[in-house]
Order: sequence, then C-alpha cells, then structure tokens
Amino acid sequence: MQGEGLLAGLLGSLKPRRRRRQPTEELPLASRAVSYTVIAALLAASLPIILSYTLLVELSFSASFIATPFEKTSFTLENWRLFFQGRLAPTAAQIYTPSYIRRMILDTLIVALGVMGVVVASATPAAYAFSRMNFRGRGALMRFLILLHAFPGVALIIGVYAIYVYTYRRLALGLHAGEAALLAYAFLYVIVARASLEIPMSTWLMKGFFDRIPWEVEWAALVDGASRLRVFTRIMLPLVKPGLAALSIFSFMAGWEELIYVVVFLPSKAPTLASYIHSQLSGGAIETAYLPVVAAAAVVYLIPTILFFVFTQSLLVEAAEGAGVKA
Amino acid sequence: MVEVELRGVWKRFGDFVAVKNVNLRFPDGKFSSILGPSGSGKTTLLYLIAGIYKPSRGEILFDGEDVSRLPPNKRNVGLVFQNYALYPHMTVFENIAFPLTIKGLPRGEIEERVHSVARMLHIDELLDRYPHQLSGGQQQRVALARALVKEPAVLLLDEPLSNLDALVRLEIRGELKRLQRRLGITTIYVTHDQSEALAMADLIAVIHRGEIQQVGSPEDVYRRPRNLFVAGFIGMPPANLVKAAVTRTPTPCVVIAGGGEYCPGEPLASKLEALGLEAVVAAFRPEDVVLGEHPMEDYVSMEAEVYVVETLGRENLVTLRLPDGQAVKAITSPLLNPRPGDKMYVNVEPSKILLYDPDTELNIEAIEAAPAARPVSLAGSPERRRAAQEED
Repeated sequence: MQGEGLLAGLLGSLKPRRRRRQPTEELPLASRAVSYTVIAALLAASLPIILSYTLLVELSFSASFIATPFEKTSFTLENWRLFFQGRLAPTAAQIYTPSYIRRMILDTLIVALGVMGVVVASATPAAYAFSRMNFRGRGALMRFLILLHAFPGVALIIGVYAIYVYTYRRLALGLHAGEAALLAYAFLYVIVARASLEIPMSTWLMKGFFDRIPWEVEWAALVDGASRLRVFTRIMLPLVKPGLAALSIFSFMAGWEELIYVVVFLPSKAPTLASYIHSQLSGGAIETAYLPVVAAAAVVYLIPTILFFVFTQSLLVEAAEGAGVKA
Repeated sequence: MVEVELRGVWKRFGDFVAVKNVNLRFPDGKFSSILGPSGSGKTTLLYLIAGIYKPSRGEILFDGEDVSRLPPNKRNVGLVFQNYALYPHMTVFENIAFPLTIKGLPRGEIEERVHSVARMLHIDELLDRYPHQLSGGQQQRVALARALVKEPAVLLLDEPLSNLDALVRLEIRGELKRLQRRLGITTIYVTHDQSEALAMADLIAVIHRGEIQQVGSPEDVYRRPRNLFVAGFIGMPPANLVKAAVTRTPTPCVVIAGGGEYCPGEPLASKLEALGLEAVVAAFRPEDVVLGEHPMEDYVSMEAEVYVVETLGRENLVTLRLPDGQAVKAITSPLLNPRPGDKMYVNVEPSKILLYDPDTELNIEAIEAAPAARPVSLAGSPERRRAAQEED
C-alpha cells in the first residue's frame, strides 16, 4: 500500500514546515549545502518516474507512437477522440462503443468509492475504540492488525478465491440469482475483499488521529451533557477530519488502482480502467494495441488521483492549522 | 444549589490508590478548595465529583441523593479543566452554546443566555473567534462561560489559574470570587497554590497522597495545622519544624537546641505526659519569630547563627542555624539586616508554638482528645468533625 508512504510524506511536509519557517533564513551554510544535496538526490531518484509520466501525457497527445519523451512528434487530439468514441483498439475483434467507456469509468468508480466507504466506515469506529477504550485483548488485537497488514494480498487471494467460488455457486445454482444480482455480488465481493486489506493499517492510522485529541476535550463534552454518541459525532469526528480526509484518499486510491482482485473476481465484460490498461499490455494484446489511445486512457485513469489529492491536501493543511488543540 | 458530600470514597487505578477513604462535605453555596501538591489525588477527586471517574468504593451525594453511578451528562455540573479543553473546531459562541444546543433549547434562548454570560465575563467581543485566536486568559473565560451557561448545580474548577501569567491570575482570582458570591453556586476549586486557596476559599480541604489531611477554614488550616504535612505545606515559607527533646522536671518541658525551653501549661502538659513522648517536633511560623540580640522575657529563646539573609522588599527572610544544625527561618523587618555568622536569638511567643508527635505526625492537641470533641474554630460545623474522625 503506497498510502503510508504518501501520508508520511504529507504529514511530514506539513508539520516541520510550520516549525521551520523562521529558522530557515539563518540556516548555516553547511546545512544549506546538505539540504541542496538531499533535494538533488531526491530529484535524481524520481527522474525515471517523472520521465515516464511525461512520456505518458505526451504520448496521449501524439500523432505517432513514440518511445521516449524526447522524440519528435506532432500534437493531435485524435487519440482522445478515439478513446471517448470507444474505439480503443484498431482491430475488428475489439470494437467498443462510447457507452462502454462510460461503463468502464463507472465500474472503476464503484470499486474505488466502495472500498473507500467500507474502509472509512469500519476503520474509524474501530480506531476510536482502540484509542479510547480499554478492553481485554486490546494490545494483542492491535499487534494482530499489524500482522494482518504484513500478509501480502496476493497470497491471501487463494483463500479469498475459494470463498468466492463457493458463495458464487451457491448464489447462482442454489438461489438461482439472476445475472444482474451475480454481477452486483461480484462488485460487492471485490469491494469488501479489497477493503479488508486496507482496514488494518487504516485503523492504525486513524487511531493516531484520535490519540492526538486530549481526553479533556471529550470529557468536557460529556460534562456539558452530551451522550457518548453525540460526543463522537459532534466533537471527535470533526476533530479527526484531516484523518478522515487522508483515509478517504488512500482507500479511494487503493480501490481505483486495484488490479489483481478486479481481474480475478469481476467478469471480463466489466473491466475497470486498470484492468483495461492491463488487458492491452498483457499476453498477445500488446501486438495489436494502439498505445497512444491506451495512454489517453491512462491519463484519464490519473485524473481523480490528482484531483482528490489537490482538494484534500488543502483540507489537510486547513484542518491541521485550524484544529490545533492547545494541550 | 446543591450540597456535595463524599462518603468513604476510594479510587484505584490498577494497583495505585489515588484516593483513599475520603469523607468530605462541600457546603451549599460555598467556595471550597481542595488543596494539595501535584500527584496528591486532588484532580481525581474532582473528576469523581464530575462523574468522569467512577469511585471504586464509596458514595457521592448531591443534596443527599446518590449520584455515584450517574454519568457526567446526567449530573448537571460545570467543569473548567486546567487546559480549558475548548472545542477547537467551534467558535467561542458555539463553544459556550454547546451545553445548550445539546439540550435542544430554542435558538433564541440559546443566543440570549450565551450573550448574557459572555457579557458577565467580558468576552462578548470574542464570540466569533476560534479558541486558538485567544489569549490564555480569554480561553479561561470562555471555559468558565461554557461551564456557567447551563446554570450548573455545582461548579468544579481544576487549577483554572495555573496556566495564566501572574497579573492576569490576580485579576481573575478576585473576579472569580466575586462571581461565585454573586451567583451563589456551590464551587469546588482544585489547586496546588495555597495562596489561591487561602485567598478565595471559605473552606479548605488539604489532600496528600490521596488522603484528606485537614478540613477547615483558611484561618484554621493556617493557624492550627492538624499534622506535620499541613504545617510544612501551608505558608510562604511554611512553618519551622524543629526537633526537640522532652524533659520532666517533674512537669514536662520541651527543650530545643540553643537553649530554648518551653514548658506548656494545661491541658497540653498532661497530654504530653500521658503520651509519654521522649521527643516532639515543635512548629512555629517564620512570621511569629522575633529576632533579637538578646533573649526576650516570656518568650522561648534559642541562640542561633545567621546563615543567609534574603531581601524580599517588604521584609527580609533570615535563615538561621541552631547549634545542632537545624535550620530556622524568620521573617523580619527590612531594617533588621544581620550578617551571616552573627549570633542572634530566635524568640517565639509560647502560645505560637505547636507540638507534634514525631511518629504519628499529629498535632499533640489533636491526639489525645477524642477527635470529635476536638476544639475547632468552625465550631458546630459537622463536616469538619466527621472529616477529622475519618482521617484518623
């Protein structure tokens, strides 16, 4: 899960910035040199990523197929037109329609929002309990969560698949569920299975946010006459808004990016953006795929990530500065 | 308004006993203070009254009604936390209005009550701000307003002044006392600062290691400390505690190093005799010491050597050493300015000397007489007698 890395970076870039603001001006020369070196090293390390993204965006606007960002090519919107017309591949076997594109984007959104919803709805109360309540087995359970997170999702998939096949058959043969119901079940299954991989670490993350709220604030609300539920909804939830924002981004992105569970459980007639891009590059498909159109699809695939990040980051900054609790 | 009573209240956290068998009564409409050093259990006691903690044993009564099992939201208490605990995501108005919105009062009434309490505390200009935009003193007022707006039966204050700078503290101290008088709310004020307790409270309960040491008026606690802890805790600086031997000639006399001899009259002499003590601790306040070049008639006089002189402006604080090395502090006029090494006499009026049993650390006057019959200054106040009884 790339979530923690991003979060650590995000929080890291938030907190020290406020403390550092003044001393920067009189930073001694030696440490300034050190920080330039660090920045240069970071740039060098991220160069491959920067180059690939540049190539991706360039390729989606390119009239011909290019293999590096520096190749000469001419600008065109043709790839985007083809993409939105649903003409994703030039071969006759794969003639798609515009509605297919909308379905694809919608499917991706369903999985992403579903994962986000399940993760936020289960990790937040769990984190509150871990942070505030003392119950038997609390410590052991918290260690167990870390262990759960350490299991790779790919290894788990065999067990998850076995349950899926069993329940799917029961549904199809035993209960004679219709095709639509089976498709809905497949989506539900992907969402819950994928979310369950996110929940352990998300619970830890949210626990950290709850831990930062002084007990006194919660007690004050109790003394002021609020019930436990009111305290949670009126006081605790607003105060962990930055955490909820972070959790939402990371779980949304986990669902948006998900490939393996989608490929395994969703029928191939319901691809997401990720599984479509994957299908164009795997097996024999790469021979016939028209990569500039795939690049356009990949850029669309990036958009929500960028949007979500831009909006929630400003929320994060606002919340972190506004909600500073004076202890 | 409500009278708050604690009956045999204990609080344990695991193996740690934070509050031991506390019996106290906070009179209706009075300003009471729980005074103790940090870690003495005073905040725990306050949280027990608020309902944040449940007692491990014992009962808490509001006007005779057992509230021990009631959650805080059912007790109608106002609580001001040491760190104020304002809701950081709400404006000052929303903070103060919170207890009323929870009750579901109509909008108009909420506004009216918030504005009136804000005016009373001079924060009506700040209602649109957020807590982090306020100074410490302003936050303190907001916290107080939030506690008062619901017209609580009991107002609980947990070291409300300790995070303020000295000048603001003095100002709010006076205001708080006047406010309490005006509203007549039963108020319990927790502090480690004895000057706050002495200045504001009608009744002081001194607590140490989870046990009530003494309950009484400020005058009582200051003039007649019930045990060595109270004697050594109250006062700036606290009372001098000097080890002394008991001789019998045949009436018992207390002999202090440096030639001090104090032969107490009745009934103290016979108590001393009955207890058969070989040694006692003599306590006297630095401000009761008269320093002079000669021993004084009718005073208990000890020869001592000046060790250090501190100039405090209005007075001098002189530390002296008795011949056996024990230190004695004396507050003197700023005109008297002895040099270190000078020989001087520490003169104390015999009536100002209190004697303590070094083993039980109790005031000898208090030991032998049954505690319930102990002469107390707030004579006739039953809570003091009951409290005294339980402590022993």
